Amino acid sequence: MRISQTVAACAALGLVGMFTAAPAGAATICWAFQDLETEFWVAGHKAVIQSLEEGGHTVIERNANESANKQLEQIRDCIAQGVDGIIFIPQDGQSAVTIVKEAQASDVPVVVFNRPPTDTSRGVVVVADNEKIAEQAVAFMADEARERMAATGKKAVPLIMVGDLGDPNAVGRKAGFYKVIEANPDLFETPIEVATKWDAATALANLEAAITANPDVDFLFTSSDFLFPTIRSVLEPRGMWVKAGDPKHVIMGGLDGDVTACGLIKDGFVDATGVQDLFYEADASVNAILKAIEDGDPTPNEVIEDPGFALTSANLADREMDMWGCALLAEKS
Amino acid sequence: MHDSGTIPESAGRAEAPGGVDGEGVEPRTSAAAAHTTGLVRGFVRRLLLSEYFVLWLMIIYFLALLPFLPSLSNPANLANILSNVWPLLAVAVGQTFVLTIAGIDLSQGAVVGLTSVVLGMLVATQASPEILSNASIWGSILTEEGGLFNGLAFAVPAAIAVMLAVGAVVGLFNGVAVAYFRMPAFMVTLVSLIVFSAFALWITQSENISDFPPGLVSLGKSPIVSVFLGAAAESRVLRRELYPIVTYPMLISLALAISAHFLLSRTTFGRHVFAIGLNRKAAEISGVPAARVIVLVFVISGFCAAVGSLLYSTRLETGMPSLGQGAFLLDVIGATVIGGISLFGGKAKIVWTFLGVLFFALLSNTLNLMNLSSFHIDMMKGAVILSAALLDATRRRIMAREG
Repeated sequence: MRISQTVAACAALGLVGMFTAAPAGAATICWAFQDLETEFWVAGHKAVIQSLEEGGHTVIERNANESANKQLEQIRDCIAQGVDGIIFIPQDGQSAVTIVKEAQASDVPVVVFNRPPTDTSRGVVVVADNEKIAEQAVAFMADEARERMAATGKKAVPLIMVGDLGDPNAVGRKAGFYKVIEANPDLFETPIEVATKWDAATALANLEAAITANPDVDFLFTSSDFLFPTIRSVLEPRGMWVKAGDPKHVIMGGLDGDVTACGLIKDGFVDATGVQDLFYEADASVNAILKAIEDGDPTPNEVIEDPGFALTSANLADREMDMWGCALLAEKS
Repeated sequence: MHDSGTIPESAGRAEAPGGVDGEGVEPRTSAAAAHTTGLVRGFVRRLLLSEYFVLWLMIIYFLALLPFLPSLSNPANLANILSNVWPLLAVAVGQTFVLTIAGIDLSQGAVVGLTSVVLGMLVATQASPEILSNASIWGSILTEEGGLFNGLAFAVPAAIAVMLAVGAVVGLFNGVAVAYFRMPAFMVTLVSLIVFSAFALWITQSENISDFPPGLVSLGKSPIVSVFLGAAAESRVLRRELYPIVTYPMLISLALAISAHFLLSRTTFGRHVFAIGLNRKAAEISGVPAARVIVLVFVISGFCAAVGSLLYSTRLETGMPSLGQGAFLLDVIGATVIGGISLFGGKAKIVWTFLGVLFFALLSNTLNLMNLSSFHIDMMKGAVILSAALLDATRRRIMAREG
């Protein structure tokens, strides 16, 4: 009786929907993300969910598996489902613009979490000042490089692992890196760029090639901390993965402030990382969407900036617990 | 096609031994039970062999879920389901032709990505050097002033014509390899998938090309006819309930599907396609120009994928090299198979493809409405496609047994 089995299965599945329906009076928020491939996104995802559920709101989750088209369809489903608001991490800056327009055209308030649209004039955009944070981290690394140059008389050979430039975060981080490099022409050789596309496999292949061609690289900035394990797998076999103080130490920095970076700074392998205040961004996103719902405003437009900071080997003792990665690391241990 | 209203005699006989034990059971009752069982079996059998099995299944599925998912029948949700149908239908129509000749076209995803980039690089009204200066086409086809055709009087139609031609050329490559070099369609189109996906990524260095002209964007998004049903009561922020009913993607996809229907069911070419799907050697002996037909089938498939790409790209307002990657082929082939297009070839109708796509869009939508995780959604979709393939094999077996 295949038909009856089908009907029964569908009915059973339907019960899932019934039991996950929103309680009366609570806001229903669609929380759509492109994927959870890095520690930052995993922690951000958890922080947003926790914040919403603690407030008694219902969360509808959607994972687009890195497809902009699927994300658009999922958000349209959310809108059709009658959600009160949308918080989402877009796949890229361009598709974010389209999705924000789509939501606002349907009178649904929308917040973009951390990865900004290429046009930030529409929707609530919660974003770190990537350029400034990267600049702070790289400036500390430059100070380290200057000390080394004083001892060796050699210019540093810098390398940057560039993110997907369709993501404005990657553009900002690259700009912050170059601001410091260009401000110190006496200190640096011409930088080497390694494209990563925010993909560990791509990063591995391109970094292998770059280090093979330029074994004298001694200054490395990664646009995201999630690539540190990849960097280690390339540097370690070449004897370049050593702690600060060793003459072979590659001065290294990143951006995000994740658990891995925290551990590596403590261990002396990494010198600095730009920190995005994840918990601030999650709270700001949740508060912004709830305020829009409360005010009955379907088209709130605002940029909420996370100032961030750089955690370095010098200020580690004072600011460790301000970095979300260190806070999570402390929770784990 | 193979519908039968007859009730198999064996159905009634099968119940007799269990129902009549000669003691304490009224013969009339057992006969009635056997009759009822026979009727049910006959009904299920008729349903199973019906050409429109997926339609009945879809109706049952919809009605069964409606009490648990009230938003399923909301006009907003129905309009949303339909908006997801049109681009997928365009691509699935092309796949239908290939499946009918017992082939498969895995390159459709690559065609979608490549032609999306082609469209973007021809019509973009501007381009950011920050993002695209590393692209292979930067400085020649694409500059800060936009795409190659930007500013021309017929930029949009010309760019669409080029992207459709690119899709057809990829199909031509596949078709020639399959028809004249006798290479397996699976292998040829798999290679095309890899090569043309990589080519699309290479020419833009993985970056997206945005800033489409407004006329092109409205092709993918702006409704032609909408209905206003008042203000929404459900959500806490008051909404306009304005639903697009007739859209450009709808007209384009339906025009493509209707043309394909006539081509497949009312022309000599269509009969040749079925003949090749049933038995290529026999078709060739019968005078069917098999090689030429196979090439044309793959050209149609590439063309349809490019039409789908046009609809996807315009609704995303971006030329994306990654469009069509990931689980996209699962959606295309899955929807086609669910509709009843046989993977063994020789059995297809465009209306089945339409129903399959509609069911697939409904399935995706309901799984989302159930708030299942993406992992569960993909598992469910896989299970449904597997069931459809199993059903196809079962139907063929039953039909073969009954002659």
